[in-house]
Amino acid sequence: MNFIDLKESAFMALDTVRANKLRSMLTILGVSVGVVTVVFMVSIIQGLNKSFAEQIEALGSNSIWMTKFEPSFGHQPNSEELHRKELTLDDADAVRREAPSAMSVSPLYRKIAETVRYEDKQSDTPILLGVTPYYEFTQSSYVGRGRFITDLDVEERSNVCVVGQDLVKALFPFTDPLDKQVKIAGKPFKVIGVMEPLGNFLGQSRDNSIFIPIKTFEKYYPELHFPESIYVIIVRPVSRAYVKSAVDEMTDIMRRRRRVPLGAPNTFGISSQDALLDIYNQLTGATYLVLTAISFVALMIGGIGVMNIMLVSVTERTKEIGLRKAVGATRSNILWQFLIEAVVLTGIGGLLGLAVGELASILMNKYSPLPAFVPVWAIGVGVGVSAAVGIVFGLWPAWKAARLDPIESLRYE
Amino acid sequence: MTEATVETSPTSSGVIAKPELPSNGKADVLILMRNLWKTYDMGAEKVHALHGVSFEVTRGDYLAITGPSGSGKSTLMNLIGCLDTPSQGEYWLNGKNVSEMDDDELARIRNQEVGFVFQTFNLLARATALHNVELPLIYGGIPGAKRHEMAKQALAEVDLADRMMHRPNELSGGQRQRVAIARALVNHPSILLADEPTGALDTSTSYDIMNLFEKLHEAGNTIILVTHEHDIAARAHRIISIRDGLIEKDERIR
Ligand SMILES: Nc1ncnc2c1ncn2[C@@H]1O[C@H](COP(=O)(O)OP(=O)(O)OP(=O)(O)O)[C@@H](O)[C@H]1O
Ligand SMILES: [Mg+2]
Repeated sequence: MNFIDLKESAFMALDTVRANKLRSMLTILGVSVGVVTVVFMVSIIQGLNKSFAEQIEALGSNSIWMTKFEPSFGHQPNSEELHRKELTLDDADAVRREAPSAMSVSPLYRKIAETVRYEDKQSDTPILLGVTPYYEFTQSSYVGRGRFITDLDVEERSNVCVVGQDLVKALFPFTDPLDKQVKIAGKPFKVIGVMEPLGNFLGQSRDNSIFIPIKTFEKYYPELHFPESIYVIIVRPVSRAYVKSAVDEMTDIMRRRRRVPLGAPNTFGISSQDALLDIYNQLTGATYLVLTAISFVALMIGGIGVMNIMLVSVTERTKEIGLRKAVGATRSNILWQFLIEAVVLTGIGGLLGLAVGELASILMNKYSPLPAFVPVWAIGVGVGVSAAVGIVFGLWPAWKAARLDPIESLRYE
Repeated sequence: MTEATVETSPTSSGVIAKPELPSNGKADVLILMRNLWKTYDMGAEKVHALHGVSFEVTRGDYLAITGPSGSGKSTLMNLIGCLDTPSQGEYWLNGKNVSEMDDDELARIRNQEVGFVFQTFNLLARATALHNVELPLIYGGIPGAKRHEMAKQALAEVDLADRMMHRPNELSGGQRQRVAIARALVNHPSILLADEPTGALDTSTSYDIMNLFEKLHEAGNTIILVTHEHDIAARAHRIISIRDGLIEKDERIR
């Protein structure tokens, strides 16, 4: 195998393509579909991963969440879980007092949607958050204008609220929201502040929130429990390096407070960003498998097309192979030439596929909420995969060609 | 079709000595065949295409092989050209024992030592005359620029310098055969073989081709050609007649 072989093989390959345009096109198309599938699948997964990781990072990067239940998806609660106690404001205070690795602790209630009215305008989607003054620092999310909720607001259970940017747009398109009276679920609240914009997370706006003092929330929603409302104690550790010790300290404190016997599992959920990523990976793992299987089947179909055209090509060119052998081609010369021919065919298909895949992901980014992203290595994967298909499915035809007897092939009509 | 399995090992007797290497007084032996057999196993019966052929060819000779159809001429030519291997017997070409070579070595011999001209030309239909002539050089590993040079020169030798970029279907039968001859010559092989090179050509074109062979012979090439036409055989220097796989007559006429 040398450079001379390569050139001759490329000549042969282009010759085959030229001589059998339609058949070659179909073959190339088959491989393209396979590669498009692979690239497309990879780009979807990569896109999801990338944006998720980025945005989790942005979400108040190292925060630790303590909740009634462990975060999980599609799992039936067992009897212990059904009888769990709710976390309380006292639990949050205990953590604040006793966990040295916790720099800031923010307990909060979160109701997924609440109706907010201002005069004749109404929004049904805002997330209602009952918070303490610690919220701002813990979540790295600050008030832009006006002021945030204070300890006094919390203690007095006052009817004040801070609104997110989405609400400003929805309810106060032309007026200044500060000091205006809004109605949350029919109750009057005074707007004391407006949050800074936060942007999107996984295609969801993070500005669609309204904040009230945590005790005001308890006053109006005393019987509201999971899943309509969740209570979370969010902890910001001293730094990234303290995530683990903070988790350990919090676990200790809570187990002591609840007198959980040694060796028994936790009776509360505690998760850091890493745990969140774990869940995400759990979710995408299955998707990954399905997407991989689909890509595999698509590539198989493309590969069988390649094998078919190569077998036909070998048969049709028996006489030519005989002639090449008669003038001195060795078995390995012939083998390589047909292999390279197959790889050229699949390579063209691969490049075509890559182009289409890239285009599709660009379009997807533009016109759909799903983030798609073709990493540079996916281009390598596409090219590599198509070449591999050429080699795998071209090997047998090439081997058949290489073994032909020169005399018999020359006689072949 | 099943592959014909043939024994490729030479006679085990070992009595056959290596041919004498050219000495001052002696003519230079290029081909030496001893008791060559070619047997086709057709299942029930065995077809002996050649049974026990022995002869020598000296360098620079011009030999015609004649005989009736089916007598084994092509079989013999294919053995000489190392396209096929004998079932039994010993064959030395240019001092090398070809009958003991493996597949890759034979390919190398075909590439370096033999130029083969076929009755039906066997050109690559979609390649230019130049590329066709370059083919043996490609497998000989000769780099591009030199390859072009050599191929152009070979085409010039057969008077086709002005047809280099033509494809076979743009050439006449005689021109195609001349391209094939250029291809056979391009590697400067030690022997030029032609199996009925004029079989597919009309009389006057045949004449031109025979003139070309004569010219090539005068230039020092060793030529063996198969024909069943007497006037073509008569232009050679030596005629071997074979019948039923055996040499019937071996006469020198010049
Ligand atoms: N692959 C094969 N399998 C079986 N028999 C074969 C094979 N090739 C040749 N033969 C037989 O060997 C004998 C010699 O064949 P060959 O082709 O050498 O004849 P030829 O002298 O060249 O004839 P022609 O003048 O018609 O070309 C024939 O009887 C033929 O049938
Ligand atoms: Mg014949």
